[in-house]
Amino acid sequence: MSLLRFFRRRRRDEEIRREIEQHLVLEQELNLARGLNPADANRLARIKFGSRQKVREQMWSSNSIVSLERILRDLRYALRTLRRSPGYTLMAVLTLALGIGANTAIFTVINGILLRPLPYADPAQIVHLQQKAARVGPDPIDFSVQEVAEYRQQSRAFSELAEYHSMTFTLLGTKVPERVVTGVVSANYFPVLGVKPVLGRLITPADETLTAPPVLVLSYAYWVKEFGADPKVLGRAFEMNDRVHTVIGVLAPIPEYPDANDVYMPTTSCPFRSDPQMIANRDARMLTILARLKPGFSPAQAQNDLTTIHHRLALAYPKSYPAAAGIAIEVNPVQHELTHAARPTFLMLLGAAGLVLLLACANLANLALSRQLRRARETAVRLASGASTWDIFRQTIVESMVVALAGGIVGLVIAAAGSKLLVAYAARMTPLSGEIHLDGRVLLFGLVVALVTGILFGTFPAIVAARSKLGILAGSAEKTAGSETGTRTRDTLVAVQVAFSFVLLVCAGLMMRSLYNLLSVDPGFKTANVLSMNISLNWTKYGELTKQNTFFHQILDRTQQIPGTESVAMSSSVPLNGDHGGMNGGVLIEGRPLRSGEIMPQVIHQLITPDYFRVLGMPLLSGRTFTDADARDTGAVAIINAQMAKHYWPDQNPIGRRIATDSRGTRWTTIVGVVSNVRQYGLDKSFDDVVYFPQAQVAFMGAPHLMVRTHNDPMRITNQVVSIVQQIDPQQPVSEIRTLDQLRSAQLGTPRVTSALLGIFAAVALFITVVGVTGTLGLSVSRRTKEIGIRIALGATRREILLNVLRRGMAPVLVGIVVGAVAAVFSTRLLASMLFAVQPDDRPTLFAIASLLGLVALVGCVIPGRRATRIDPIAALRAE
Amino acid sequence: MKKTSEAEMLQGTLDMLILKTLVMGPAHGHTIAQVIEHTSEDVLQVEQGSLYPALHRLEDRGWLSSSWGASENNRKAKFYKLTAAGKKQLTVETHRWNQIARAIGLVMGER
Repeated sequence: MSLLRFFRRRRRDEEIRREIEQHLVLEQELNLARGLNPADANRLARIKFGSRQKVREQMWSSNSIVSLERILRDLRYALRTLRRSPGYTLMAVLTLALGIGANTAIFTVINGILLRPLPYADPAQIVHLQQKAARVGPDPIDFSVQEVAEYRQQSRAFSELAEYHSMTFTLLGTKVPERVVTGVVSANYFPVLGVKPVLGRLITPADETLTAPPVLVLSYAYWVKEFGADPKVLGRAFEMNDRVHTVIGVLAPIPEYPDANDVYMPTTSCPFRSDPQMIANRDARMLTILARLKPGFSPAQAQNDLTTIHHRLALAYPKSYPAAAGIAIEVNPVQHELTHAARPTFLMLLGAAGLVLLLACANLANLALSRQLRRARETAVRLASGASTWDIFRQTIVESMVVALAGGIVGLVIAAAGSKLLVAYAARMTPLSGEIHLDGRVLLFGLVVALVTGILFGTFPAIVAARSKLGILAGSAEKTAGSETGTRTRDTLVAVQVAFSFVLLVCAGLMMRSLYNLLSVDPGFKTANVLSMNISLNWTKYGELTKQNTFFHQILDRTQQIPGTESVAMSSSVPLNGDHGGMNGGVLIEGRPLRSGEIMPQVIHQLITPDYFRVLGMPLLSGRTFTDADARDTGAVAIINAQMAKHYWPDQNPIGRRIATDSRGTRWTTIVGVVSNVRQYGLDKSFDDVVYFPQAQVAFMGAPHLMVRTHNDPMRITNQVVSIVQQIDPQQPVSEIRTLDQLRSAQLGTPRVTSALLGIFAAVALFITVVGVTGTLGLSVSRRTKEIGIRIALGATRREILLNVLRRGMAPVLVGIVVGAVAAVFSTRLLASMLFAVQPDDRPTLFAIASLLGLVALVGCVIPGRRATRIDPIAALRAE
Repeated sequence: MKKTSEAEMLQGTLDMLILKTLVMGPAHGHTIAQVIEHTSEDVLQVEQGSLYPALHRLEDRGWLSSSWGASENNRKAKFYKLTAAGKKQLTVETHRWNQIARAIGLVMGER
């Protein structure tokens, strides 16, 4: 009601004006009728009515809401003053927009991956179980079918316990043979996650029997990508592993976790998982477990429960659980697993962006303060003519708020664009990147940040404005324009700015050093001009070694014929390929029998064809490489890397020694060569022990990769290679076509973007700080013009003046650097997990950044310093 | 010399007088002032500066409704009309006034 009146008060005012007008006319006519002349009639009517203005004002204020009225007036006033100084307004709005935009963009990511609940039912109840052999290696060793069954039967902590593994199979029935990443799951897998189909149905226990017809569930992404979201895909039949599989449903969009699966099938459809030998073998561990905790069970309780069962199993089957392996079960909440990699990075980036915004606030406060001081006279006039200090304070704050909100709105636009760029970056760290988008919470965040920013940089000048002295009107404005308190607060602001940007610069410096260290890592092989592609085999077709050999020989021979090809090889894994690790396995070393309870030494097994080392440019250190003469029926041979040679034969020549891959040592393999080390898994990983076997003697189990070294750009021969493979076997898919350079760049991608973002933030911080230092000192110089003029007149040399100004300017900078250094030592610890080969309290970085900041600030101080030396003493003294 | 000196409008009575005047039928501000003055034999002088705020206040409370119409001199004027709620209010106020007038009479010793 009253709000309605408030907004209609202008219309009502007009109404009352007309009403009064009419009243006066009537009164005048009445007076005329009484015989008065027109002039008197008019005058008397007006006298009788009294003040029309007063009536209107009274009506206006009774219709108004005073506080709202005031704020609207302040708003109009603010808009007017801001329009008068477009330069300041534009600068302030842009600075804030960038600051708020950066913060909001990073918050959008954090909101998507850390704050929003996972798209599962009761996500806190879902846990991932992993079996690890701590004394063998850090990677999980998975579960065997037997183990899954036992944990499912005996554990009391879970309402459902689902098994899962992922394999790549060939799918026939689409345009070309397709390699599909297949999640092989038990029927209760989807209930454990609590996800629903968008189409059709999911896998039921009836589908998970050996006699049931094979079925497929498509992932949402694959359905959209491959079938254009066509609902008619339901019921379509595809051939996989020589059996016909029917599509029964499409899954709702869920994170690519545990893997980016294209399709899902029940455990009974997987030729490996359903192999009776696999089922019976307690040591054939290839499965992982996702489970849903019963209500009231914590992950720790579940862990205890599983450990009890594990001890029972270890007693019953001591051979499967050797004490020396240190086998144990870990229970990890899925929530943690999905987010832990991205959490520190994005929180750090939010912290950095927040610091930049704070710095911008400090600068704007300084700028607004200067404006306020220049307007001191105006403020004094307003105070003198009846404005309260609260009126002045409120009006100044409203002006800052207008700037901040404008900055916030532009910032949201920047955030919308920026967060899209961040999605790809976040995808390297978490499968939840699909959840990142603007929502109400992000908008609220942007708005709140804008408001807080406005208050932060508005309060300070507002207080100064409200405290304005009327004395200004009597004397000259300049005298009071920068009181001593003003100078001190400004210097404190500068010191705080320097401290903050010092911390940021150190963080950025550390990340860059870490990136530089990564870039200069020698992977041990030459990445230039090498093409790699995945030629995953159809197991039913190429299960036998001889068939594999024939197939590979054909591919190698014909690829070698392509002009520009230098060398060609097949390998069971590609170095630096994060998606597929190598095969870890035990070896028995001749002459070093295992003590009882001891497990076999664990090394990486890799299968290669003779030219592999030539393709990668890995130098042979001693002995020989494999040749075509190392065939199926000749003596088994192997090559080891330098790391393994040093490890097991530190003072001897390993050539001619023998190893076996089974614990009883039934088949011995002779070491014929030693090659140099390569970083197999990642640039930031250390060397592993590797043993290479010739493909001609051992059948491939993993996904074989074809690798081609060319004379120039390797991507140019891609099509030729693919068509060769498909001429030999039209059903053979080729995937993951990449160069080794691309793999290396992909490894460096995350640290690169992190350093770049931090670097940008730090550079902006440095710039803002120097602008602050220069501006503050510049103001101090113009205030001291007269004093400096007197000094020069009294004989101070230009040098002395310059030094004096520089000293004043650098004092808060040096204080800031010292405070920043202390703060940096504490805060950079948070970075430790993101750094490679550099300590978070790295002294050289600290000193380099301190000198850089000091030097740049000094340059910033020289500008007003030189102006001070050029002050003409006569002009300065006459000016007053 | 001020005519109203002997009859400062008693606080709150203007509203009542306006309501009473409008019982006779719709009228605009000027007429209302005229009627009050004439009926009171020019003892009561409506302070015109407070007439219009009072009219609007009464309208906001729902006791009057208003519309623009042609006045006797054929100009547009805003006419006020008593609403049902206004009539009820007039009864209340009249009753209260009678009580006060009687009470004051008793105190002043009028019999």
